[in-house]
Amino acid sequence: MTTEAIRTRGLTKVYGKFTAVDHVDMDVPSGSVFGLLGPNGAGKTTIIKLLTGLSDLSDGEASVAGFDVRREPMQVKRNVGWVAAEVILDDDFSAWENLWLQAKLQRLDGWKGRADALLAYFELTDRRKDKVSTYSTGMRKKLEIALALLHQPQVIFMDEPTIGLDPNTRRMLWELIEGVHTEFGISVLLTSHYIEEADRLCDRVSIIDHGKFVASGTPDELKSKVKADIIEVETATSVDEVALRAIPGVSEARTQGKAWILRVVSAEEVLPRILAALRDNGIRRVNVEKPSLETVFLDVTGRRLGETAGESTDFRKFYAQMRRARQ
Amino acid sequence: MTTENRFGGAFASREGSGFAGIPQGRQFAGLYAREVLKTFRNPFVLVITVVQPFMWLAFFGSSFSNVPLSYLDVLLHAHIQSYLQFLLPGVLSTSMLSIGMFGSMSTIQDKRFGFMKRILITPTSKATVYLAKALGSATRGLVQVPVMIAAALLFGVQFGGDPLMWAGWLLCLVLLGFGFSCMFLAVTASSTDWQTPGVISNFITMPLMFASGALFPTANFPGWMQTIAAYNPVTYSALFGRGIILSGTANWLYLGYVAVFATVMVTIGTVVASRYLKVE
Repeated sequence: MTTEAIRTRGLTKVYGKFTAVDHVDMDVPSGSVFGLLGPNGAGKTTIIKLLTGLSDLSDGEASVAGFDVRREPMQVKRNVGWVAAEVILDDDFSAWENLWLQAKLQRLDGWKGRADALLAYFELTDRRKDKVSTYSTGMRKKLEIALALLHQPQVIFMDEPTIGLDPNTRRMLWELIEGVHTEFGISVLLTSHYIEEADRLCDRVSIIDHGKFVASGTPDELKSKVKADIIEVETATSVDEVALRAIPGVSEARTQGKAWILRVVSAEEVLPRILAALRDNGIRRVNVEKPSLETVFLDVTGRRLGETAGESTDFRKFYAQMRRARQ
Repeated sequence: MTTENRFGGAFASREGSGFAGIPQGRQFAGLYAREVLKTFRNPFVLVITVVQPFMWLAFFGSSFSNVPLSYLDVLLHAHIQSYLQFLLPGVLSTSMLSIGMFGSMSTIQDKRFGFMKRILITPTSKATVYLAKALGSATRGLVQVPVMIAAALLFGVQFGGDPLMWAGWLLCLVLLGFGFSCMFLAVTASSTDWQTPGVISNFITMPLMFASGALFPTANFPGWMQTIAAYNPVTYSALFGRGIILSGTANWLYLGYVAVFATVMVTIGTVVASRYLKVE
């Protein structure tokens, strides 16, 4: 058995002149949950494509489940499961037929018992013969995870597992992912742009921006890197930067649009002073943030996670399109 | 602990004997079955597939109804009961021209909906996906054959030949359809545009239909068109069927030509697809 579920050195993917993934080194220990956190277009999905053999490496090396992605792609594919961001199933088929096809594609014998157990685990047993097109998004997602587990992979890739889901379904899915990880003993690589998701699910997280890892560590390590609190203030009139920096306890100040982002030692102490100093500027909005993965991201990239880097995907639009296309 | 109890015993194993032991055999069987199931679950598509060539027979086949047979014998260089009798093998052959469109469209749909990713993330090669789509297309196209033969009987066409010849002719149509499907899918392997299959279909079908012996004898053609028809496998499939129907004689060389065509197409297509089949 291998000790590392995923290992990459200098992993690079170039599309024309655009470098989607830029010399990424990654070590995912077996049995852990690893999170790739970053805005849309940061290169998260491309990394999954490279590690599952859907896309060829431009440079560098990678091994998954102990197999080299370039030299033994078929072995890699036998040992990985994949849950797509956009929930990819054959809508004309029932849950059982989707499982049947997956079993064929993975060359499985004696898969039916396991498929039954998976359907029971995901509470889909009584709908197993219904067409997938009649399922709710949550059920579709569950079935997709069941498909990914059917051939007992060593590593499972989950691309934005909860994107576009309502809060209840999201929470349910978090519990499922935790369950899948502990119960099936599988290594998980998930991508997300939800901080809370990575914080809750992941043993280790790497923050990715423009194809590069900008920070890595456990969620706690990352949070402790940002020792300060962050205060965001937006005012009606412009603010004198020198005056802001002069406030005791403010260690850093930078603008973002009309707002100022201030790094302070302790928000509880410094906030009254800031408010006093800006009294005449007409304060429109104040936001205090304790260290979280979001502040880590803000700290290392200067942008919030919600603000997308260049090309972005509007998932609401995307889902609407998928629904229309299916009808 | 729980893993072994809850999901143990059902520990899936791989490989097997017989057909399942062939590399990619299971993946091919699964994907092919998927194509066929999808076709037969969509009655609308099935009906259109059958009705279209039927209309060819009904309308085009009836367009010489009031021409005296003696004139037709001169025009068609053959002794016939009706133009329909002459036309049937031709229409069956030309209807194999565009059946690759089905596989091509289903390939593009899989790319668009991301299902191609789901397939290719498993140990399934692009060549396997390609071959399953091509054979799926050909199978779908063959649905037309029994229906049209039944329709021709209904219109009063009489058949010559024996069961061996009929089986040979069926094989000929399978090979022709498979060959053109392979060609079609290879041409559209890298496409993700919904409109491509329709455009390619018109592009392939029209010239190859008329520049063949399917509708009229090639002896009436100008030289350059005769040259095209002489290489066109549709000509040989039509002549093979016509020989059987009109005079009960089968020229097995024609079947051989179509078989060579199918072999060449599947070889080229597999190479092209394993290199250029796009994932999305």
